[in-house]
Amino acid sequence: MTPRKAVCAVLILALFIGALPLSAQDDDVAMTMWVRNIGDQVQELVDAWNDRGGSQIQLTVIPPNEFVTKMGAAIAAGESPDIASIDLIYAPAFAAAGQLLDITDWVDALPYADDLLPAHSELGTYQGRKYAVPFLIEGSFIIYNKGLFEAAGLDPEVPPSTWDELLEAARAISAIDDETYGYYFAGACAGCNAFTYLPYIWASGGDVLSADYNSATIATDPIVREALEFYRTMWEEGLIPESASIDDGSSFVSAFGTGAIGMAGTGAFGINTYRNDHPELELGAFHIPGKDGGAASFGGGDVIAIGSGTQHPEEAWAFLEWMMSDETQLELYAARNRTTVRVSMLENEYSQDDPLVLTAASALAVGKSPYSLVYNDLFNDPNGPWLEMIQIAILDGDIEGALQLGQDRFTQIIEG
Amino acid sequence: MLFVTVFFIIPLAMTLFMSFHDWPLIGEQSWIGATNYTELASDRQYLKSLDFTFRYTILVTPPIFILGFILASLVRHNIRFIGVFRTVFFLPVVIGLGVSSLLWVWMLDQRVGIFNKILLDLHWIAKPQLFLAKPATAMNVIILSVVWKTVGFTMILLLAGLQSIPDELYESADVDGAGYFRKLFYITLPLMRRTIALALILSVIGSVLAFDQFYIITRGGPRNSTISIVYWIFNNSFTYWKMGYGAAMSIVLLGILVALSSIQYYLLRERY
Repeated sequence: MTPRKAVCAVLILALFIGALPLSAQDDDVAMTMWVRNIGDQVQELVDAWNDRGGSQIQLTVIPPNEFVTKMGAAIAAGESPDIASIDLIYAPAFAAAGQLLDITDWVDALPYADDLLPAHSELGTYQGRKYAVPFLIEGSFIIYNKGLFEAAGLDPEVPPSTWDELLEAARAISAIDDETYGYYFAGACAGCNAFTYLPYIWASGGDVLSADYNSATIATDPIVREALEFYRTMWEEGLIPESASIDDGSSFVSAFGTGAIGMAGTGAFGINTYRNDHPELELGAFHIPGKDGGAASFGGGDVIAIGSGTQHPEEAWAFLEWMMSDETQLELYAARNRTTVRVSMLENEYSQDDPLVLTAASALAVGKSPYSLVYNDLFNDPNGPWLEMIQIAILDGDIEGALQLGQDRFTQIIEG
Repeated sequence: MLFVTVFFIIPLAMTLFMSFHDWPLIGEQSWIGATNYTELASDRQYLKSLDFTFRYTILVTPPIFILGFILASLVRHNIRFIGVFRTVFFLPVVIGLGVSSLLWVWMLDQRVGIFNKILLDLHWIAKPQLFLAKPATAMNVIILSVVWKTVGFTMILLLAGLQSIPDELYESADVDGAGYFRKLFYITLPLMRRTIALALILSVIGSVLAFDQFYIITRGGPRNSTISIVYWIFNNSFTYWKMGYGAAMSIVLLGILVALSSIQYYLLRERY
């Protein structure tokens, strides 16, 4: 054997040896999963799944504002993930584009199929077929600082239930000192304001879209104007810190944690964050009120779907099924102050004594989620009409101009 | 030729092809003729972005050029430690625009930013300023950041032009009693015409194609007042998934850039 042949033989042998472990790993399928960055919950779930052995999931966390763009680009490039945790309001658009696997038969075969949260399940359905199931459950509500309520002479156990009461509470808290503010909203964050501001309109019987979501009602529904005036009053009177005007969502959660904010909109994700990072705060929660009472919430969060291009549909479904199972819902959701994906488990042995978790869970009872293929363009886009309207009305005070602009741009987008 | 074909002609042809289609980022595309182009005329934000991009280009080009020329004049002669100054002035150029934009986000922050700290320490302001809260100040800080980032490149281009002028010409002018400005306008600038044309064309193209700084520092705000034309193309293509419409805007932008560069080249052509 010549030296050249000997080298070739060694290389070929090395290739075979190298291939052996690969074929041995075939049983342990590696799947990719994408999620937008909304806390540690998904990483904990994936770690628990991976620790069981068998198929493994590699999690990629994507900044929330980038998710739709990156997902769209990845799909176009044929690089979409096996499993995707999608902001539920985008699910119809991805399903309509044929990018999600039809899992109707699998979902219908579940013994608890009818027990899955209805709002999330509806958004996971497109033209009667099921493409996604509930995954991360977020109903918006108001969190408040009981210490500041007390310092302002307010009863910390009786939170506001109308706009006027909320305004009065904000005034009283802002009067404590120059560093304390009654209310907070992220003035440059489109999605945050869909989540925490739209419910003020819904709770008062108004809306920015018609019931069939096919036309804008911004200029015609008087409640929209009144809701803008309500926030404008708080802004004008200095009840909201000036820095809120440029908050693109990066301080949406942390601002309240400073202890200088009386009330702020949040979701279930805020509960653990505030408790872990700011144990000194005494927290309370109440539903987002309507003008004269009532309550509403944005039924938000994520649904989870399997990419239509996956090579591992069964393994991916096994993860989804495990996630929805009794044990996972109880031990990895409820026990960690997270809202379950099953209606019958919303009140459980862990949530009974926790008013915050109960408020987050019961917010879903008054929750609403717009069903629109152009939701991103209307509400979540940082350069979209929803945020521009809010900024012009609340920060600049031009409510008339904002209403007209919102109506025109919503109509333009809806009509394509 | 192969390089030009693969990296310019084919992508350009594909963009042109896409611009005549309703081409969603995901899903099926369909031929719609010139509809994307006719829609541009009624796109309020497109026209606003064009206007903003031209205003930005007009505002940012003179400081880059004038400051670049001053710096090039200062570091022209090979004196001791001049390499240090040239390096320091050029250093921001080697930082990626995305990274430098993030750096400016931090420097402009009202809580931990260095600008507010300096201005407060100097007692020029009474409380921390929100530089990005108003359209005018947002535009100004963007211009400041871009001048800081790119002036070194213009300096190097102009320095090469300055050093190519023979010293004998200045010595003769000195003998004839010419002052600084006479030498500047009758020797330096005329002999640097080609270099100036190159520096200006590159600067204007860079400004018209500006994206990163607006995407990262202002996110197009406040009130959508800083959405450049490339930002709007990006939004339509990747956020709204309207690739065909984005392609049509890109073709129009290419035409605008060719026209602008031609005008500059014509005005600064050699006239002897």
